[in-house]
Amino acid sequence: MSIITLDETGKASVLTTGAKSVASDIYSPLRSGVNGLIDPIGRFFAGAVNYGSLQRENEKLRSQIDALETTHAQTAAAKRQYSELEKLLAINRLPSISGLDVVPAQVTAQDISDFASTITIDKGRTSGVAIGDAVVGPGGLVGQVTEAFHGAAQVRLLTDGKSTVGVSFGNHEVATLAGVQSGSTLRAEDLSSTTAVSVGELMYTSGLAGAQFPPGIPVARVTSVHSVVGAANKQVTAKPLAAMSGLSYVEVLIWSGSSS
Amino acid sequence: MRVALRTIFVIAIALLLQNTIILELRIDGVSPDIMYLLPIAAGIVGGPVDGAVVGFLGGLAADLLLPTPFGLTALVGTLVGFAVGAASGSVARQVRGLPSAVALVTSVIAVMLYAMLGALIGQSQFLHANLAVIAVVVGVVNAVLAGPAVWVLRWALMPPARVRDGAAR
Repeated sequence: MSIITLDETGKASVLTTGAKSVASDIYSPLRSGVNGLIDPIGRFFAGAVNYGSLQRENEKLRSQIDALETTHAQTAAAKRQYSELEKLLAINRLPSISGLDVVPAQVTAQDISDFASTITIDKGRTSGVAIGDAVVGPGGLVGQVTEAFHGAAQVRLLTDGKSTVGVSFGNHEVATLAGVQSGSTLRAEDLSSTTAVSVGELMYTSGLAGAQFPPGIPVARVTSVHSVVGAANKQVTAKPLAAMSGLSYVEVLIWSGSSS
Repeated sequence: MRVALRTIFVIAIALLLQNTIILELRIDGVSPDIMYLLPIAAGIVGGPVDGAVVGFLGGLAADLLLPTPFGLTALVGTLVGFAVGAASGSVARQVRGLPSAVALVTSVIAVMLYAMLGALIGQSQFLHANLAVIAVVVGVVNAVLAGPAVWVLRWALMPPARVRDGAAR
């Protein structure tokens, strides 16, 4: 309990962050190594179980190789990766981001705890990544760096129950979107019943004074609006524009306005 | 000394498995958590003190890689290990199948305890997670792995001389 108290109050956070950084540096290569081992082993067992039928199909498959080679570039995985990178490039062309330093990073792990929506990326302090930096992915904002280690960093996704982001939409309207811990949607907080908002509307980071993110980054699309008669606030939900699962590549925005 | 080294080795391997193979075994979007299995098995094998020590060390190691508050897994692991060791006594060591039942029930309690303690220290969003699904997945997987875990922890915590003396009392 003492450890939790010291960490949560920030009195020993330097110590715990240092220990976490060392642990991350030790475990990252081990994790990659084990993951590299698992795939071939899985393929080996799959091959061993189906050896007889594999031999029969071998000749048949050889004849198909030439035809497959021509369509190889159009496989679903390649197309998905291409589309992901294309969307990421589109985000880079946004005026609000084009002037910022960007650190491209690969996602090495996702949701390492059942109680937090996070990703781990392969870039850390040595690449200039700092706590508070905004992270964008294909489609829009993904989250924020919450832990920056030597060669890796942890990013809290928008959908995490602790995430909040100030957004603007429509005719200079502003709101705060918060993550919903057990889902892939976001919830607008304190949105007055008189605010004009409609389903399908796009929301962007507001970038107001003290904001955690640069302005103008696409965040989410409104999926539902409910007004209750007599209630002071509207109930609005939105879906993040960036896919929160299956992320491969992201970009960290080095932004002087971040909380670091 | 040998017991300490073996225990640290087991914790390191469990941590590596948790963050690679186990992490990929998602069931309904939830990953099993074998780090709670260590104090449960240690409590069954060695009693409350061994359970608490393994729970603390294993939890602390897990916390190093988790984005959640540092020390929370260690606290839950300590409580779970001590409680299992104190409650099960020598019965669970001798009755076939009982370690699995103990692992199932205790893992569910551990998940709930983790969420509640987290909420107490400001992580109220833990209570909005899919607690029922997490508890079931963690409980069932730990129940299945309880047998091997007890065997491994017996190897780590029980040098031959200690086994002859009747293990923990």
